[in-house]
Amino acid sequence: MRVSKNISYSELSFKIIWSVLFLSLIGLITLYSISQQHEGSFFVNPFTKQLFFLVPASIIAFLIIHIPRYSIHKYSYAFYIIGIFVVILPFFNSPHAGTYRWLNLGLPFSIQSSEFAKVFTTIALARYLSDNTLRMKNFTSIIIPIFLALVPTLIVMNQPDLGTSIVMMTPVLPMLYWAGAKPFYLFLILAPIFSMLTAFNTIAFTIWAIVLGIIIISSRPTLIVSIFLFFKNIFLGLLSPFMWNSLSTYQQNRILTFINPEKDPLGAAYQIIQSKTAIGSGGIFGKGWGAGTQTHLKFLPVQESDFILSVIGEEMGFIVILVVLLVVGYLISQILNNSFFSKDRFSSLALIGIATIILAHVFVNTAMTVGLIPVKGLPFPFISAGGSFLISTYAMIGLSLKLSINYAD
Amino acid sequence: MLKADNLVSYKQYVFVLGITWVLLIILILRYFQIQILGYDQYSKKANTNRIRRITISAPRGLILDRNRRILVDNLPTYILNAIPGELEEKAKIFKAISKTSGLDSAIISKNYKKYYRSRFIPTRLAKDLTFDQISKLEENRLDLKGIYFQQFAERYFPSKTRASHILGYVKEVDKEIRNSMAKKDDYELGDIIGWSGLEKSYEDFLKGRRGVQFHQVDAYGREAGHVSDFNPIDPEPGQNILTTIDINIQKKIEDLMNNRKGVIIVGIPKTGEILGAVSAPDFKPDLFTGHISAFDWRSILNHPDKPLINRFSRGLYPPGSIVKMITEAALLTNTSFSPFNTQECKGVYQFGDRVFGCWYTDGHGTVDLTSAISNSCDIYFYKTIDYYNLDILSSFFRLFGFGTPVGIDIEGESKGLVPTVEYMDKRYGKSGWSRGALLNFCIGQGEILVTPLQVFNYINILATKGNASRPHFVTLNKLRKNPPLNIKPENWDRITYDMRQVIIDIKGTGKNADPNIEGLKLFGKTGTAENSHGKDHAWFIGWMDMKGEKYSVVVLIENGGSGGSIAAPIAKKVFEQIVTSEYPLVNK
Repeated sequence: MRVSKNISYSELSFKIIWSVLFLSLIGLITLYSISQQHEGSFFVNPFTKQLFFLVPASIIAFLIIHIPRYSIHKYSYAFYIIGIFVVILPFFNSPHAGTYRWLNLGLPFSIQSSEFAKVFTTIALARYLSDNTLRMKNFTSIIIPIFLALVPTLIVMNQPDLGTSIVMMTPVLPMLYWAGAKPFYLFLILAPIFSMLTAFNTIAFTIWAIVLGIIIISSRPTLIVSIFLFFKNIFLGLLSPFMWNSLSTYQQNRILTFINPEKDPLGAAYQIIQSKTAIGSGGIFGKGWGAGTQTHLKFLPVQESDFILSVIGEEMGFIVILVVLLVVGYLISQILNNSFFSKDRFSSLALIGIATIILAHVFVNTAMTVGLIPVKGLPFPFISAGGSFLISTYAMIGLSLKLSINYAD
Repeated sequence: MLKADNLVSYKQYVFVLGITWVLLIILILRYFQIQILGYDQYSKKANTNRIRRITISAPRGLILDRNRRILVDNLPTYILNAIPGELEEKAKIFKAISKTSGLDSAIISKNYKKYYRSRFIPTRLAKDLTFDQISKLEENRLDLKGIYFQQFAERYFPSKTRASHILGYVKEVDKEIRNSMAKKDDYELGDIIGWSGLEKSYEDFLKGRRGVQFHQVDAYGREAGHVSDFNPIDPEPGQNILTTIDINIQKKIEDLMNNRKGVIIVGIPKTGEILGAVSAPDFKPDLFTGHISAFDWRSILNHPDKPLINRFSRGLYPPGSIVKMITEAALLTNTSFSPFNTQECKGVYQFGDRVFGCWYTDGHGTVDLTSAISNSCDIYFYKTIDYYNLDILSSFFRLFGFGTPVGIDIEGESKGLVPTVEYMDKRYGKSGWSRGALLNFCIGQGEILVTPLQVFNYINILATKGNASRPHFVTLNKLRKNPPLNIKPENWDRITYDMRQVIIDIKGTGKNADPNIEGLKLFGKTGTAENSHGKDHAWFIGWMDMKGEKYSVVVLIENGGSGGSIAAPIAKKVFEQIVTSEYPLVNK
């Protein structure tokens, strides 16, 4: 890899940089409040740990800006292979709290390798889909990218880390859409999932059947194909309650536990209630920095990462939550904007992939703190404490800054 | 390729942008709903309705004797805790506690440092508080903000016995212990864990399962009752352990060992049940609970007789003459050996250039196999070593359970040592040892080392003619049999007959063990084992047979002297106790 010579820092997107710095600062302020009651060592205290990891994170982002675009393009598959390799590696370690997420290299902290695989997979997808000769009208052009993303996703899912594996999969659909895949095809991929999920509620299933019918008819395939597609989905939906009931209670619990990793339903309900109480009791302006009773009396679980937004909600109120979410929206819009105006397809695809990953993290994490979705274990970008996650997020920002500059190198 | 142009349409851009903002607005609206619309409801909840999870430790299972009398019980005591985050002036509050309860404030601050985990986790200040002390503290509650107490069940030993090496002891889980555990979640700091003896080996049964309660705590951290939304999980008490011990016998043998060093084991040969076992000197079982002073600790740890060592399972001793029945079995099994074989004992025996003596230096005169056992003649065995070799003899020792642990259900058992040709070659070199080693081996001297538990298993095998189960302390559903021995019935009868002669023969070495009780038949063997630590070890092993019920006894007095005059009289007292026990063992 050669370092490009004529990088002019004034060309960088300062809208992105300022947004990132703002969010990181909010994160540090919140972590400092939490860490007041920590008397642990440097790498245990979330504030000092975050401060430490901001250094390598910024350096990596800075270095990425200097990598020529064609090098990123050229080595993207190589990095994809490395990504798969590093998510397999933890399986050779001894399990950490029953999981294989962490790679122990003898450092005072472990590395969550799936964080890096996530970025590499997105770049590999961008490279595949930016191929000039690719015919997006073909269904196979859709299958291969899905397969590319599925390999690391399934490995990570077995670590098991459902949150990260979902995030890994999310860029695929928007990127396919961006590359020109027929929305109808994308719909076909999603339809069976909806059929199975809605099947457990009669009203939801009826509405879904109507929507399904309208979409199939409006996209005008041949009559036989439409009838086949419609009844395939309805049939699948009708079957799934039977398939579910044929499972033993033990197997059902396994699946439910997989969807909701907190095994003990009492435990999960407890965490959500504590989080909502923290957020709700914050009101418009919050209880004041360092004065959150829910936070400091330790009612709030995993407050430095999964539930950090609840701490902000409690101590700084709705105003700061609103600002944080608006800034995140602004940042994602900027990346999407740069993607739209990008001159080459590879950069454009990589940018929307990155935007999707950031949005997926924000949405899953935030929705979880207010009890909208049960899936846990995903941090909030720039704000949550975390070593590997912070570095991979900053690396994605470095890539966004680099690929947003519109000249060839 | 990089040359590929970006073909994204404005429509696609707006669509994706739209979805992004729709998702974000859903989140913002939800926050609005909770924080603005739900503010009153949630802030009330946060101030008056905080839920705190409190774990309740399960009472540990009891350890019972064979008649369900309690050996180890739980004594309710109180623990004093502090929530560090709620302490305003630590030093002042500690002083106030010390003033009202009489506890040492230095110990309180030491414990505070030891148990501290976080500002909001209860931190132990003191334990073993009496109800009286707690009442006094409760009266001064207003001056003691952030101080709480909690009931705690401590191990307590209501019986008069000690049985310290059997029962073992428990430890409090501290940071170091907890960090070294594979499953950290099973224990919290301050929980108790079995650390030795039965407390350790039956930990999984005894420990029970912690329960959870959800308490409401108000804005000042004061408890405001249980929470109705969450059902508490009750603690599951540990299971009681029914041991094979008989308290009266255990007490008797502990008294008999007073000021002596050594071991007594009493049991039932057929089942392998141990009615009592003592390793002396021992220690008080509550040494590890309550306030143990540093002085007590040091005096136990540095005691020259090592009271913490479990002699009956870990101690290794030369067995001396008590193993002569194994040599007898080896001789009888050889068909060229005549059961009527006699030898001349003149008190000394020259073998090669070495002179071996009989313990009876005047010599036993003409000796046959029976009198060689009953009078414990060494020379008879020296002169008959041609009927077997070292490996054959050691295979007989192994058949009688020596050289391997008996598999007792408490941790830490030595396996002993049974020499073989291979072992001797390794230890001394191929030409470094001679057949003279066999002369030592056949009378239980030399390399051979045994544990008293192995000896107990051995006497059980003899008492049942090979049908004994392995020794154990806790009542089992399924007994573990000793491997079968290929010894002919007439040879068993001969061995049993000879062991009877040890007791009833005029010159029998075991006469002193007979309690002379009507209907009680005693069988046994004495041993006087030479050792490198001073005076000989005195052994007596034997069993009594009364109305078809058999009880076996092993007595070992370290450096006691002669087995017949030191160990046998002690065994006699044990047999008397068995017959007169409060809970009848023998149907009178």
